[in-house]
Amino acid sequence: MRTRVILMTAVCLALPWHEAVNATVKSATEYPAVSTGQQVVVKLFGAGVGTLDSYGSGVLVSEDGHVLTVWNHLVNTGFLTAVVPDGRRFRVDVVGTNLEQDVAVLKLATDEDETFDFVDWKTTADVLPGESVLAFSNMFHVATGNEPVSVVHGVVACKVSLNAGLGRWTFPVKAPVYILDAITNNSGAAGGLLTSASGEPIGMLGREIRHRDTNMWVNYAVPLKNLQPAIAAILDGRRYDSNASKDGEKSVLSDRQLTAGFGITLLPSIVATTPAYIDRIITGSVADTAGLRRGDLVLMVGDDVVRSTTDLRERLSGFRKGQPITVTVNRNEKLEAISLRAP
Amino acid sequence: MVSSKGISVVFLTVVLLSTQLVCAGIRPETVVERQQRRVETIARIAPSVICVMPPGGQGGGSGVLISADGYAISNYHVTSGSGNFMKCGLNDGNLYDAVIVGIDPTGDIALIKLLGREDFPFCKPGDSDQVQAGDEVLALGNPFLLAADFTPTVTYGIVSGVHRYQYPAGSFLEYTDCIQIDASINPGNSGGPLFDIEGRWIGINGRASFEKRGRINSGAAYAISVRQILLFIDHLKSGRIVDHGRTEFTVGTAADGLVEVQAVSEISEAWRRGLRPGDELVSFGNRALTSANDFKTVLGIFPAGIRVPMTSRNRDGVHRNTVRLLPLHGFDAAPQLPEERKPKKRPGDPDQEPDEQPASPHDEKASAVPKQYAHLFKEKKAFSNYYFNELHRDRLLNPLRESLAGSESNKTATWSISWKASDNGTLGELIVGTEGAGLRTEKNNWYQPIEDQHPSNEAVDLWGVLSASLQWHRLFQADPDLFSEVLYIGAESLAPSGRLVETVFIQDGAVESRWYFTAESPLPIGVDVVMGAGHDEARLRFDGWENGTVPFPNRIGIVNADSEQIQWLSVEAFDVKSGAVNAEADNEEAAAP
Repeated sequence: MRTRVILMTAVCLALPWHEAVNATVKSATEYPAVSTGQQVVVKLFGAGVGTLDSYGSGVLVSEDGHVLTVWNHLVNTGFLTAVVPDGRRFRVDVVGTNLEQDVAVLKLATDEDETFDFVDWKTTADVLPGESVLAFSNMFHVATGNEPVSVVHGVVACKVSLNAGLGRWTFPVKAPVYILDAITNNSGAAGGLLTSASGEPIGMLGREIRHRDTNMWVNYAVPLKNLQPAIAAILDGRRYDSNASKDGEKSVLSDRQLTAGFGITLLPSIVATTPAYIDRIITGSVADTAGLRRGDLVLMVGDDVVRSTTDLRERLSGFRKGQPITVTVNRNEKLEAISLRAP
Repeated sequence: MVSSKGISVVFLTVVLLSTQLVCAGIRPETVVERQQRRVETIARIAPSVICVMPPGGQGGGSGVLISADGYAISNYHVTSGSGNFMKCGLNDGNLYDAVIVGIDPTGDIALIKLLGREDFPFCKPGDSDQVQAGDEVLALGNPFLLAADFTPTVTYGIVSGVHRYQYPAGSFLEYTDCIQIDASINPGNSGGPLFDIEGRWIGINGRASFEKRGRINSGAAYAISVRQILLFIDHLKSGRIVDHGRTEFTVGTAADGLVEVQAVSEISEAWRRGLRPGDELVSFGNRALTSANDFKTVLGIFPAGIRVPMTSRNRDGVHRNTVRLLPLHGFDAAPQLPEERKPKKRPGDPDQEPDEQPASPHDEKASAVPKQYAHLFKEKKAFSNYYFNELHRDRLLNPLRESLAGSESNKTATWSISWKASDNGTLGELIVGTEGAGLRTEKNNWYQPIEDQHPSNEAVDLWGVLSASLQWHRLFQADPDLFSEVLYIGAESLAPSGRLVETVFIQDGAVESRWYFTAESPLPIGVDVVMGAGHDEARLRFDGWENGTVPFPNRIGIVNADSEQIQWLSVEAFDVKSGAVNAEADNEEAAAP
């Protein structure tokens, strides 16, 4: 496998993007490297928050319509829709997330027999600095319906651990990532696909973040290889969150669990101290029945002060099913105590 | 990579084909060879790239020469701040005067003419419709105005997407069907050419998605396609403020992915051709449609006033028709750039043009018009430079006057034509004079007075012929004052033949017409006459002009609006005599269709 990839890229280095492929593979399409990338990248549309955009990119990773993307604000806000390359639009559910790899797996809400072209993430390759790459994404949401996503070219500059973030948010991935000389750090590009010049999948385009030392916007992609265990675990329905399993780590309810259990969606935690405002209440849920409302700011759970969304998710994770919980909220400048039972 | 099975198949093919290639002795180009070829290409195309500056020389953008006599294309947002005369630098280090010719504010295109040489280097256009994502491209221009000697800066990239649509910046400057590239585009690149890797001109770089980094390259820039520019160039040469087109119907993408007609104006040509809400629009402008976005993208590349083919489908089957595009904006004057397009814009706004560097305020004293070229500019409402319109209008109309030379009395005489229809042999006679035009067929008589032309005076079967002939009678006098307005439109493709024609537009009271000329003959090959809103055009074609006392066509063709077929009438006799046209007519029978 490895030999094959290196062999191919060696040939490709001497040639331009599509001609490289043309010269060696006379396939049905004239530009297979580009069109295959375009066939598996989906356009994501959700809710924007502040200066963060309401659109993004994702990569189809299963025949059934599982989509790999960055675990960013788009995923957290819910109400996601995906537009697949042929222009069809699907509602999207979050299947699982992984903090350590900064990754989320989504699933298109499809009919059972629906199938999609997808990236074979299990047989991904590694590339070396200096090798040519292509990056596919819906940056700047240039494409909306069935138009192909954008493709830009570049080379891998290096593969290093990244000390980066945005504001107080720190990039959680510790393993080395690809640094690119192409500008991929654009609105909506996160979650896009990085391939070799010949179209082999090698990474997922990262977020809009700055390097901690230089304050420069970083163009990076997380190697697909690093993501394999997380993707496999999420697709199998297993929990793969090595942070949570570590000793001394506090367990925290995921946003998805919070929504599924309590029926609460919070503002996405963009900074470490994002206030615990309730963004949405699911009708008929525990929270709805108890009388929590959209716009409530949660100040306390029991006697514990809640300073952030993370605080709240941590506090709520401590209750067993059926236990009584008192939540104090600020509603229209008045404090209200609301009682509910843990779901 | 599409599926695990797909991977192995592709891999196998790679190995097999590589083996075959080696066996056949086909050696891929080496990096060095490829580089050498690129260097040669750049050396070949760079001389056509120009730096466009206001007269004071402060600030500026880019452009590209397209003909030896100095015509060059740039962005409207580059030239609009430069006045009617500007300075252009070539990579030979020389500075030339240039005058504005035509502008297309919606498409962000300007045509200028460099002066002082007849042997300017120029680029050759490629087919931008053949460009695909992944193609290598070269962008040339003068980013950050780095080149004091006007040697263009070259940036390299690939095509990121084609047929892109970028929403208007402000009320116009709409980029439709553009080419998205990842080559670096920065302020000063605007108006500069995009080439494919073989050096064929495929676009004009005019816009980029600027965002958090400020107004510098973001890896997403947009070039106006050469296909669109070529559809406009011959209109821009008319010195007009050229408008884009719109249709009198709207479409949406239906749930099943088809492009569905949503609303149709009931007085529109499309309605008369049978287009109704719920019909499927299959193609427009010869491009197959897969979404409403496709339609918006392709519609944007056409100038107002041209006839565009379209295919629609309803329960009765597939229908092919043409519709004439209406003006989108109807500019009376060169529009102001939107606020954010003016110098001192806010950084961080996405989707703005990488404009010219803002001109410095103290270059006004240098903006004097070069004396030897002052006559090359004429101001007039709805024109960017009326000088060029007069030039072409007179070029087309003066030969008509010459064709009447020596028979001055003929223009006040009555001209009569009798014909036989080539299909059913029916006979007819047309008489036209200075007061009006009359028509006699085997069934009826019609009369159209010149002072009070009305659609109801036209014959049903020969719709518009009387109004057209009244214009014909005066057109040969080549006196624009005989009409409300006579102006040169430019060159375009004529339906249904697709012939390249030059068009002269005539406003004659309420009647509008478009006369068509070709390079082969000074005499027109046809006219389309609009009698008023809600009526189909009379579309007449002329063939085989004879030089009698007055030139007359051997055959007169009538284009059927539904079938786009031409019915030809053979002219049996032509006569010129003094006296008025007999005004008797059976006008009750002459209802408009």
